[in-house]
Amino acid sequence: MARFLSRRGFLITGAALGGTALVAAVGGVGYLATVDVDGLHGHLDGERAALNAFLVIQSDGRVVVNVPRTEMGQGIHTGLAMVVAEELDIPFDDRITVEFPTEAHPAYSVWFNMLQIRPEEASGPVVWVGRRVLGQLGFIATGASGSTMGMWHPMRVAGASARHMLLAAAAARLDVPAAELATADGFIRHVSSGQRLSYGELAREAALLPPPDRPALKPVSEWRIIGRSQPRVDLPAKVRGEPVFGMDIALPDMVHAAIRHAPVFGAKVGRVVNEAEVLAAPGVRDVAVIEGQKVAVVAASWWQAEQAAWLLEIEWTKTDADGVSSTEMSARLGSALASTTPYEHVDEGDTGSVIANASTVVEADYTVPFLPHACMEPINATVFVRDDLTAEAWVSSQSPMAVRQGVARGAGLAGVEPTSVTCNITMNGGAFGRRSDQDVVAEAAFLAARHRGRPVKLIWSREEDIARGLFRSHAAARMRAALGPDGLPVAYDALVATQSVIDSVASRNLPVNPGPDGDRISVEGLDKLHYAVPNRRIRSQHVPSHMPIHFWRSNGFSFNTFFTESFIDECALAAKADPLAYRRALLRDSPRHLAVLNRVAELAKWGTPMAPGRGRGIAIEECYRSVVAQVAEVTVAADGEVRVDRVFCAIDAGLVINPDAVIAQMEGGISFGVTTALMSAISLDAGAVVESNFHDFPMQRLANAPAIEVAIVDSGLPPGGAGEPGIVPVAGAIANAIHAATGRRIRSLPLAVTETVDERRTRTVLPPVPT
Amino acid sequence: MVELVVNGKPLSVDAEVDKPLLWVLREDLGLLGPKYGCGIAQCGACRVLVDGKSTPSCMTPVGSIAGASVVTVEGLAQPAGMLSVVQQAWIDEQVPQCGFCQPGFIVATTALLEATPRPTDAEIDEAITNICRCGTYPRIRRAIHRAADMLAER
Ligand code: FES
Ligand code: FES
Repeated sequence: MARFLSRRGFLITGAALGGTALVAAVGGVGYLATVDVDGLHGHLDGERAALNAFLVIQSDGRVVVNVPRTEMGQGIHTGLAMVVAEELDIPFDDRITVEFPTEAHPAYSVWFNMLQIRPEEASGPVVWVGRRVLGQLGFIATGASGSTMGMWHPMRVAGASARHMLLAAAAARLDVPAAELATADGFIRHVSSGQRLSYGELAREAALLPPPDRPALKPVSEWRIIGRSQPRVDLPAKVRGEPVFGMDIALPDMVHAAIRHAPVFGAKVGRVVNEAEVLAAPGVRDVAVIEGQKVAVVAASWWQAEQAAWLLEIEWTKTDADGVSSTEMSARLGSALASTTPYEHVDEGDTGSVIANASTVVEADYTVPFLPHACMEPINATVFVRDDLTAEAWVSSQSPMAVRQGVARGAGLAGVEPTSVTCNITMNGGAFGRRSDQDVVAEAAFLAARHRGRPVKLIWSREEDIARGLFRSHAAARMRAALGPDGLPVAYDALVATQSVIDSVASRNLPVNPGPDGDRISVEGLDKLHYAVPNRRIRSQHVPSHMPIHFWRSNGFSFNTFFTESFIDECALAAKADPLAYRRALLRDSPRHLAVLNRVAELAKWGTPMAPGRGRGIAIEECYRSVVAQVAEVTVAADGEVRVDRVFCAIDAGLVINPDAVIAQMEGGISFGVTTALMSAISLDAGAVVESNFHDFPMQRLANAPAIEVAIVDSGLPPGGAGEPGIVPVAGAIANAIHAATGRRIRSLPLAVTETVDERRTRTVLPPVPT
Repeated sequence: MVELVVNGKPLSVDAEVDKPLLWVLREDLGLLGPKYGCGIAQCGACRVLVDGKSTPSCMTPVGSIAGASVVTVEGLAQPAGMLSVVQQAWIDEQVPQCGFCQPGFIVATTALLEATPRPTDAEIDEAITNICRCGTYPRIRRAIHRAADMLAER
């Protein structure tokens, strides 16, 4: 991967962590200068004894684990609490609670992920730079499937360190050498005398002791929690329907806001035609134009605010994009594929001339549409600017950094400079990259600054979310390969045309823009470095548009792996080879990938006969330091209805903390991927997004959800990511399965057309064969 | 004023009759379990029981159900705090990911099992039309069957 770290690699990598790192790099300096650097010193806080930045023990022995990563459904609060419990030597039960710390402590920053190193491997000057420089900038974000790999080791050390401090406190209290003491189940026992002290009664003394320099970690052979599935800590509240999400925040004197963004991105508010009428609607207190670009209505309840927002008649200014349709957008992708000046990411060997002189060349173009995130919890933020100009925010966000930036920016637009910002990160009702942006926070902060002394909760309607928010870019690829005498590729040439996410994120949020060239995200999944091919060229062409592009679950992999794994199947077909055998040959030098591929083939019973109209397809990818392979089984009926019956998945995510959570992430990723592969598309008409809600932006439901089987492959490597890999191979595997079932190669997503069965049910049907 | 029985408690709410039940529950009664996901009766996040029937509260004007008994996800657990069979099955199968959609699924399943104690997969597909963006469907199916088994054993 090192070859992809261009001169802009560092910034780009940082931004990939969730869209906030770049923002933080520019804006975050200096605001944490007073916080302790190393983060492992304890202190007392009322009843709570903080043994370090990650862990509090109450006098009743209950343990609060501070997990500075957002719980958005992936189970990170449970996984990282498991690691702490393991080292602390306590049972993993309901005496453990998890909190997202409000403080922006350097120990919580994502600097390991930004530098693309593992904390357990970091040493010397790298640690110094990380802690003293990057850690101080308050880069705290959840994304890029990086939370386990970035945090498991620091939290292990935190647990071990606390246990060591508790032992030292007990040794002092009992006046015995610490070596004579043993821990178990939250107690410390003096082995020979049988005397016993609980963690709860020792915590206050322990918190004031110096942390050990390098506490011994529990040997792997003694692990009782890590690697064994544990129930999620957040589920009891969630099945009871407790108010845990940002949208559920309820505060005294709170007012509510609804909003309307421009139908065509970039348009400005020319005039609110009927402001007086809207102001007179029930409960309405304010109609506010934000940054000249959007109109918010503030009312006593959200229902009233939203009703009044529907009344709004807004004249939007004309933009250059007013005439842009999906057809025009496709044409732009098409001409970008003919670009003579794409950015060259990889150029190994002599790809161009090998292809020019080859006797067998396989060529194909592929496309995918724009997509919204459509998190189940609509986008929202609650901000309170008090009369004394202190501010507080409650947001279902992936990044406290983005929240702080958003509050400062939004309040600033209203001429208010908050003296402090307290940031509360709630549970996220899905995130998928969407909640790393600061847009809604800035809007709410603007309104809160106008309505000082009252908290303002802003909720975007589903329509605003689908049609007027942020998107995964559309993309197209032109793939070419020269096949050698054995049918395997001797040269591989891939060009992707897409709108750079870095360019779009930076242009919205930053004073400086590294620009689209060399955006590594555009070519994620395109290089297929694990496939042994002697000549390889990987290029990208940025395709600008008016659409705001954002990080989206698995980013470039979400389209490139569909392109590449479809294309490899096309090469296998040209070589008259079985798709599995073909990949095995290509992976001959990659034992890790081969193990995952073989495991999924075994799980799916690859090669066993299937009934007519049914087919299997396979795909594999390396991403987020994990390797994932899937086999999809489809049935295509005579009328073209396509159903994904089963998906088999093998994942090598290195060391797995909570196996059931990894399985759940694969299941969830596959579901997300099936929706993407078969159903989802955003289209444009006259510059505006056509779709607006789940009636025209269909989603998978139970009736069309495949059965899923997941196998975890243990490579003995340290942890990789799990939040995104699950979605990555799905579309390619399904496209390949449809080909196996029907002989039809569909090269654009969605692969099918969604037809309405009844009010809430749909079926997916293959498009008519082009004539 | 609209009279309702909500989670067993008779009360009257002072809301416009055309205000959707969802927003009456969330804003006037402080019951935040029912969620807003689409507002157009598509996603099911807002489902509650209205006289025992699973109903998208986002499209139900409160005036249209005057006198009805409404049960939200908060009303499913026993008063002592013990989870309902369906909620327990949800924990046993570790269903939720983000959890935002789950109150609606739990309510819809409660109604399904009331009407059809041992549903087949086809009956489940027919009855449970909610959306889960996180993709917890395989576990939801397992949890529905598990809850049905648990109810049959009682
Ligand atoms: S919010 Fe009622 S069905 Fe979606
Ligand atoms: S659990 Fe997140 S939407 Fe269903």
